[in-house]
Amino acid sequence: MKTLNIVLCGLGGQGILFLSKVLSQAALDKGYSILGSETHGMAQRGGSVVSHIRVGETMSSLVRTGSADLLLALEENEGYRNLSFLAMGAGFFVNTDSNPFPRAEAKLFLDKNKIQYRSIPAGKLALELGAPLSSNLALLGHFSRYSTQLATQAELRATIERISPERLKKPNLKIFDAGFGYEG
Amino acid sequence: MKREEILLGNGAIALGILEAGCQVMTAYPGTPSSEILPEVVRFVKEQGLDTYVEWSTNEKVALDTAYAAAVAGKRATCCMKQVGLNVAADSLTSAAYIGMKGGLLIIACDDPGPHSSQTEQDTRFMARLAKVPVFDPSTPEEARAMAGTAMALSEEFQVPVVLRPAIRVCHARQNVTIQSIQNHDQKAIFEKNPMRWAATPRFRLILHTELNQKLKKIAQRFETLTQYNSHNLEPGRTYPLGIIAAGVPFAVIRDLLSEANRKDIPILKIGTPYPFPQALADEFMKVCKKVLVIEETDTLIEYLLGDRSKTMGRLSGHIPSEGELVPQVIYKLVNNVLKELTLPVLGQAENPEVDELVKNLKLPMRRPTLCPGCPHRASFFAIRKARPKAIFSSDIGCYTLGLNLGGVDTCLDMGASITMASGFYHAFAQDGVKQPIVATLGDSTFFHSGPAGLLNAVYNGSRFILVILDNLITAMTGMQPTPALGTRADGTQGKTISLERVVQGCGVDFLEVVDPYNLEEMNRVLKKAADYTEAPEGGVAVIIARHPCVIAYRAEAIPQKKKVTVTDDCVECKFCLERFECPALFHDQGLGRININREICADCGLCLQVCPKGAIVEVKAS
Repeated sequence: MKTLNIVLCGLGGQGILFLSKVLSQAALDKGYSILGSETHGMAQRGGSVVSHIRVGETMSSLVRTGSADLLLALEENEGYRNLSFLAMGAGFFVNTDSNPFPRAEAKLFLDKNKIQYRSIPAGKLALELGAPLSSNLALLGHFSRYSTQLATQAELRATIERISPERLKKPNLKIFDAGFGYEG
Repeated sequence: MKREEILLGNGAIALGILEAGCQVMTAYPGTPSSEILPEVVRFVKEQGLDTYVEWSTNEKVALDTAYAAAVAGKRATCCMKQVGLNVAADSLTSAAYIGMKGGLLIIACDDPGPHSSQTEQDTRFMARLAKVPVFDPSTPEEARAMAGTAMALSEEFQVPVVLRPAIRVCHARQNVTIQSIQNHDQKAIFEKNPMRWAATPRFRLILHTELNQKLKKIAQRFETLTQYNSHNLEPGRTYPLGIIAAGVPFAVIRDLLSEANRKDIPILKIGTPYPFPQALADEFMKVCKKVLVIEETDTLIEYLLGDRSKTMGRLSGHIPSEGELVPQVIYKLVNNVLKELTLPVLGQAENPEVDELVKNLKLPMRRPTLCPGCPHRASFFAIRKARPKAIFSSDIGCYTLGLNLGGVDTCLDMGASITMASGFYHAFAQDGVKQPIVATLGDSTFFHSGPAGLLNAVYNGSRFILVILDNLITAMTGMQPTPALGTRADGTQGKTISLERVVQGCGVDFLEVVDPYNLEEMNRVLKKAADYTEAPEGGVAVIIARHPCVIAYRAEAIPQKKKVTVTDDCVECKFCLERFECPALFHDQGLGRININREICADCGLCLQVCPKGAIVEVKAS
């Protein structure tokens, strides 16, 4: 398999590290090698956070701009801020309740570069389900409906079930399922 | 046992430390090094090892402690961030001369960027300064392997060895195979030998000579350490361009060349830049017309290369002298070099259109902020209110973010809030000016390097207010315990050290403890402290603002949740946004007032005490 490059972005505290853990573990379970890079420390305190995951035989943990196959944004503006990572024909999944989405200027760029984009009000959905901090899993559920490049919906779901702490297993799966069920 | 797990680079390093037979491990937390120790603790417990592990109060303490264990013949490791090695530099340079009996591995993690540090300093230079060997890993797996090689080398030559992983190694994630680890059973033996262990300057000259001899032998060893130092030259071939690369940039350039299928550009990887494998470099340079040197973050290899007539790098302006060498930066600079040499480029240049587009979107800048509900926010709000004209000297920790509330004017290094407050006092007092000064630092930072500065200030008659922001944890680096908490690195309970008694022991006569969540009380104590700094018999006034961190102790930190809302009394003065700066408060242009972001609000209710118009009110449960 050609190296699959994934970039996750959002704000500190939105659960990017957990999202990156689920995706990496799911890939590892399928026998792929994983290399990624995370944001910790000062940069994490509510600032912009970016996580990279590279699936396949690579040595460097960072995705080069213009070469990400997937960009998952937990916040719309952070998604735009990281547009430069997207490769031609990549997938772009965003947590936002903006309508219209995307902004006109961004749409031109996305269309021109044949980038598939999808949005879901993951924050709202998670809040309605009583877990405001779990928009990450709602976005992942939605993502799994449209992209199986890395793992299928069932595989991701099984990974969440396995690595979530006991008391969060049920709520996490509920939110993931709600994201999967959301028809944007 | 054997299993595969996805580990943080720091987890892989932790495995390497234990596989190297480490018996004593010390550390002081600091990004990007902080996760090494907790991972060591996890594997020690899991594998039933005897390794002693401690969070030391600072990096010098950590290094001295590990060093003594190595003097007694044990294998020891000491971990810190790059600027921590500045604190421990006194130990390092002396330990290099004296050496040890057992292995001593020093891990100092660099932060090109910088992402979470004061400087982008290059630890390899610190190793060169101290004259100790240094290893520079490119990946987590390599860092793990190097830990073992470095420890063995250290023990063989009786010299401390530095491992310098950069942030992209420490905070990379990689799948790693975990196997069972054996205890290393060396018993502690101290052989008295004052001429060595307590060497006077006359003997230091002898020790320096010995160190130089060791380095010569180690340099020869490095010439043949092919798993870390190697090139892919084909026999008999010459090249218009070769690349010498080290550390994380090696991983990047290797990937870029392999993706572009460029077998015409050979790479020499340098994993042990000091002492420098000169013969290997000469062999590589001989068959390359030009050589590009890519290393982070400074120019160690460029300086050490004997012949610079062929080299391109930072010194020639081909590589930026600051900032992280991320893949797109290396891609661009290599393309520029290839163009300059009229060679084919790696691929199409970056898409400048997208950068322009993102710029035109005018996205809001996201700066790091104190968390919603953070007690430091209350302290800074009260401090600014009570002492609006003060100079605010602050320190290294979460509370540096008091910047956003206008509560931080200076931040130099660990402990400098106190020492700079003292310096400011004397500078103004000399001119007869009564300049109010409020210093702020956290509990862990106080234990790290507060007392020496505090007793100096008291002794020399400085006058200022010191607010110790005591949130009962080392928060910024990931919730490590402090001596006041008494919890040790392995989770067992040790003796607790009273912050109050340490402060009093420094000679401080004014000490009050207050909960900053009570803004009124905080304000009253600050006024009282201010009076003390100006009274004839006054001096340094210390306030311990004590309230648990909202992240580490969510339940205790906010015992009474208060849901708040904003009424139509809001006049959009934005006082709360500027002076209180809670990320859960935002200006809602649609509603024409301030609004609450429910997703992140901690329900601390602190903002109820903030609005000058009383427009922030509690939502009563119906």
